[in-house]
This record gives sequence, C-alpha cells and structure tokens, in this order.
Amino acid sequence: MKNRRIGLIALVVLAVALVGGTLFTIDETEQGIVIQFGKYVRTVNEPGLHMKLPFIQEVTTYDKRLLRYDAAPAEFLTRDKKALVVDIYARYRIVDPLKFYQTLRDLARAHARLDAIISSSLREAVASHDQSDIITEKREPIMAEVARETRTRSEEFGVRIVDVRIKRTDFPREIAESIYARMRAERGRISKRYRSEGAEEQLKIKAQTDKERTIILAEARRRSEEIRGKGDSEAIRIYAAALRQDSEFYAFLKSLDLYKTALKEGSKVVLSADSSLFQYLETPRPGQP
Amino acid sequence: MAFNEPGQSPWDKRGNAPNMEDFLNQLQQRFGGHFRRFNVWLLAAAALVAWGLTGIYIVNPDEQAVVRTFGRMTRTSPPGIHYHVPWPVERVNVVKVAQIRSMELGFRTIMEGPPARVREFPLESLMITGDENLVNIQVVVQYRISDLPAYLFRVWDPTGNPEGRTLRDAAETALRGVAGSMTIDDILTIGRARVQDETKVHLQQLMDSYGTGLFITEVKLQAVEPPEPVQAAFKDVVSAKEDRERIINEARSYREDLLPKARGGAEQMLRAAEGYRESRVREAQGDSARFLAMLQEYRQAKTVTRRRLFLETMAEVLSKVDTVVISRSVAGKALPLLPLGETGTTPLPTPQGEPGRQAQTPRAGGSQ
Repeated sequence: MKNRRIGLIALVVLAVALVGGTLFTIDETEQGIVIQFGKYVRTVNEPGLHMKLPFIQEVTTYDKRLLRYDAAPAEFLTRDKKALVVDIYARYRIVDPLKFYQTLRDLARAHARLDAIISSSLREAVASHDQSDIITEKREPIMAEVARETRTRSEEFGVRIVDVRIKRTDFPREIAESIYARMRAERGRISKRYRSEGAEEQLKIKAQTDKERTIILAEARRRSEEIRGKGDSEAIRIYAAALRQDSEFYAFLKSLDLYKTALKEGSKVVLSADSSLFQYLETPRPGQP
Repeated sequence: MAFNEPGQSPWDKRGNAPNMEDFLNQLQQRFGGHFRRFNVWLLAAAALVAWGLTGIYIVNPDEQAVVRTFGRMTRTSPPGIHYHVPWPVERVNVVKVAQIRSMELGFRTIMEGPPARVREFPLESLMITGDENLVNIQVVVQYRISDLPAYLFRVWDPTGNPEGRTLRDAAETALRGVAGSMTIDDILTIGRARVQDETKVHLQQLMDSYGTGLFITEVKLQAVEPPEPVQAAFKDVVSAKEDRERIINEARSYREDLLPKARGGAEQMLRAAEGYRESRVREAQGDSARFLAMLQEYRQAKTVTRRRLFLETMAEVLSKVDTVVISRSVAGKALPLLPLGETGTTPLPTPQGEPGRQAQTPRAGGSQ
C-alpha cells in the first residue's frame, strides 16, 4: 500500500517534470532560441505553446518589444567650441536573438555596448555642427544621421536601432547665469526700443502738431491782415471819395483837430508875433495879408 | 491560494505553507482517520473549483480585454462577462480603452484642489528656444489607447506601459524640438497654438513609429513663461510696450488739445480782423459823412467859417499850453528853445495860407 503510493507520487512527479521540460510558452512580448548543450538549434518567434526535447535542450527568451536605452545626460563640445549638455534616448529591438545571444547575452551588456556606439557617434555629430544648429533646425537631421550610423554598427549584435532622439539639450550649469545675463540684456534692449519708439512717435506727433498749429495761426494771421487791408483800403476809398470834394478844407479841418490833440497841457509853443493870430497884437489894423 | 478559501478557521489567516500543514494535521487529528481521505478529496475539489472560478472576468463598457493562450494573443473581448481558462493556460488583460488619460510634463499635480497644488519640475520644463533663450513650458498631454494589443505587447517600458517613460520621452523630444524651432517671443505670444499643434503632430508620429498604440488627443500648454531669473526683464518689456502706448497717447492728446485751440485762435483772429475791417469802413463812412456835412455848410461862407474854426481851435489850444510870442523885431536874436514839450512844438500855419509842412498829410502828423 505504502510502496504503491510512493511509486504513484514518483510517477506523477516524473510526468510533471517531463511535461515541464518539453513544453514551453513564448509570450507575445518574447522571442526565444532553443539551445542544445550550448549549441544553437532554432529560433522561436511565434508566441504560443512550443515543444523541445526535455532535459537536453533549453530555451533562452529575449524581449521582442521595442526596447529603450536611456543615456545619462553628457556634455559635448560643438564645432564652435561651445559646451552643450545632451540627453538622448534610443529605441531598439532585438531582431536576431541568435546574434544577440552570441555577442551580448543580456541587456546589461547590450546597453553598455550601445552606450559606447551611440555616444561616440553623437560626439562626432555634435562636434561637426555649430551649437545653434543642434539646438534648432538641424536637430532632426543630426539625429537621423546618428541613428543611421549606430544602426549599421549595431547590426552585428542582432540589434536594430529604430530611433535615436535628443530628449534635451541644455546649456551647462556653469554658463546658465551668463545665458540669463544675455537674455536680460536682450530684453533690456527691447524695452529701450519700445520706450524710444514711444518717444519717437511722441516727438513726431508733437512736432507735427506744432507745425500744423503754426500754419493754422500763420494762415489766420495772413488772412486777417488781408481782411484788415481790405478794411483799410475801403476806408481810404471812402475818405478819398469824400475828400475829393474839397481836399484843402479837409486838410484845414484835420490840422485843427491835430492841434487839439497834439498840443497837450504844459506844452510850450513859440509863436511869432507876425502870425495872423496876433495880427492885432502890435498893429491893430485889418488887411494883413 | 485557493486552499485558503474554504477554511473559516482563524489559522488560515497566516496563510503560509508550514501553517497550512499544521492546519491539515490538526484537521486530521480532530476528525480522525475516517474523515482523512474524504477531507483531502474535498479540499482538492474545492481548490479545483476555486481555480476554475478565477477565469471569470468582467469587461466594463469603457474597457476592452485581450486574452493570451499560452502567451499567444487569441482573442479580444467586448464589454460583458467572459470566461477564460485560468492561469497558466490563459491570461487576460482588461484595460480602460475609452478613458482619456493625461500626462503632465514640467509639473505634477499633487492635489486636485481647488486650489490645486502643483509641484514644478524645472528640469523637464526648462528648454532652449530657437534664438538660444531659455523658456519654461508646462504641458498636459491627453491621450487614449487606440490599439490595445500594441499598447500591451509592442513596447517595453520601465513602468510596464508605454505611457510611462516612452510617452514622456517622446513628449519631451517633440516639445523641445518645436521650442527649438521658434523664437522666445513667438512662443510667449502668438506661437502658443503652433507649439501645441506641432508638438501633437510630432508626438503622434513618434508614438506611431514606436507602435505604442496610443492616440494623442490633445497637447495643451499650461504655463509658458520665461525662467524666474529673467522674469523681471520680461515684465519690463511688457511695461515698456505699455509705456510706448502711453507716451504715444499722451502725444495724441497733446495734439487733440492743441489743434482745436489753434483753430479756435485762428477763427478768433479772423473775426477780429473782420471786426477791424468793418470798424474801419464805418469809421471812414462816419468821418466822410461828417466832413461832407461840414463841407456843405462851409461852402456857404468859406472865409468866415474858416476863420471861426481856426480861432476856436486856437482858443482851445492856447488856453492849455504855455505860449511864448516873439515879436518880429526880436525874432532874429531870440534863442531857439525848441523842442520844449514832449510832443515838441509845431509851427502853426496862418489860417489863410498854406497849411504847415507837417499838416500836409493829416494822418502822418497825428503819429509824430
């Protein structure tokens, strides 16, 4: 009874071990290679349930998904000798698990190798471009170039680099303050320009205004002088029309008016006794011419 | 785990293997040999049922499920209640696919609020613009899962889903790429929509090329501002702009103030001139009317009138001035005392003869 039971248990254990050693699953996210005593037998790409020889064959699985390599931010020197901190990441996948198995074995080693390839390629690319290009427009082509180069160099590991991207470019921390100083100076310049533009416009408007004002007043003065002139000429015409009747009498009357107004109180007048006023003063007889 | 479920005794709370053994031994001791076999089969059956029950799963209306059989994707499940052969044969992933998710870049919301509490991530938000300035941009990326199998199985990510690092990396790349192609002034002012649109397009391209199965619904800019150390300078630009407008407005108001006044002044001058003209004309008319009237009477008796007028005037004049009369006999020897008064002395004409030299032009005489 007891022996039979032990035998049964042993049989079950053996069966489980046999099944466990024969069947293996490959997940959607995986790919595997079957190895027999260290010798490559086949690659298993299809997800699902698979069989192998128990005990003598073993399976090594690798990730089939798009993998990520994130480099630590590093300082590079551009062609114009400016330092730039570049933080990149790469996306790659294992396309040939056999090659990968033969050359790298695991992801840690793969990342070490990718690090070397990508950073040397990136260093070269950065060194052959100016800082402003890397920051701005040419970032994409530069990275495409880096991706292309690293792709060919990583093919021998069974790895295909899909993408190398600059996540960040930063100025080195030491020069941040000088960047800020430059930004402040630039803003200061713009502020000044705005204020000066204001002053310019103000002066223009004021000058234009003053000019217009002067013209308006001068024009008014001109026209008012014209009007005054017309008044004067009209007056002259009127006077002339009247005086033409007897200019001598007018002169006489006007002279009399003049004496009245011109000779003020306290004026001294010297008169000759010969004056007709005084014709009776010394010789009171009529008929003085 | 399933062994735990039928037991109601306090021991099963400990739940690890040695305790389970104790528990079984105690059960055996308590119920004796008769029950031993029965109990084992009962437990085995209960375990089997429990294992079988773990295959039931519910897919909510906003969810979708993917079933893998021995690691291979075999089917997707629409909303409803479903069954899969339990682990290790089949596995199911139920994911909310309809949900719009969001990722914050440059900041993290700590408390929804309001008021919301936010922690800033300057390392993420500080970026270089095309004109080599620095700017802080915070964005929210909204996305949803458009391809569940791709989302689950195509992209490795340290957080497990592509929306972890993969989306963040790509969003940073896209945003910084766009910021790097624009000037800081554009980004801060008119270019916000462009930043959003281009980032979204670029990010979607990256998501597609990686096969993440994510669809970017929106990239929304939150704060866009210059970095703290230069904010004052940027604010000053804004106030300078306002100053410019203010100065120009002042000048305009100067213009508005001055020109109407000038026009009014001009009008005033013209009216004054017109007044002068009219007064001159009327004066002349009056004078000439008076003269003509006098002339008419004068013509009746010329000599007498003339003499009378002359003498009347002289009487008036000489009564208020100091008069010195010099006789012809001393005329040659007298010292000329002229001029004596402020207005000077005027040789007076004889009433019959020619008027004095100055009196020839009456108006000129008045002005001397």
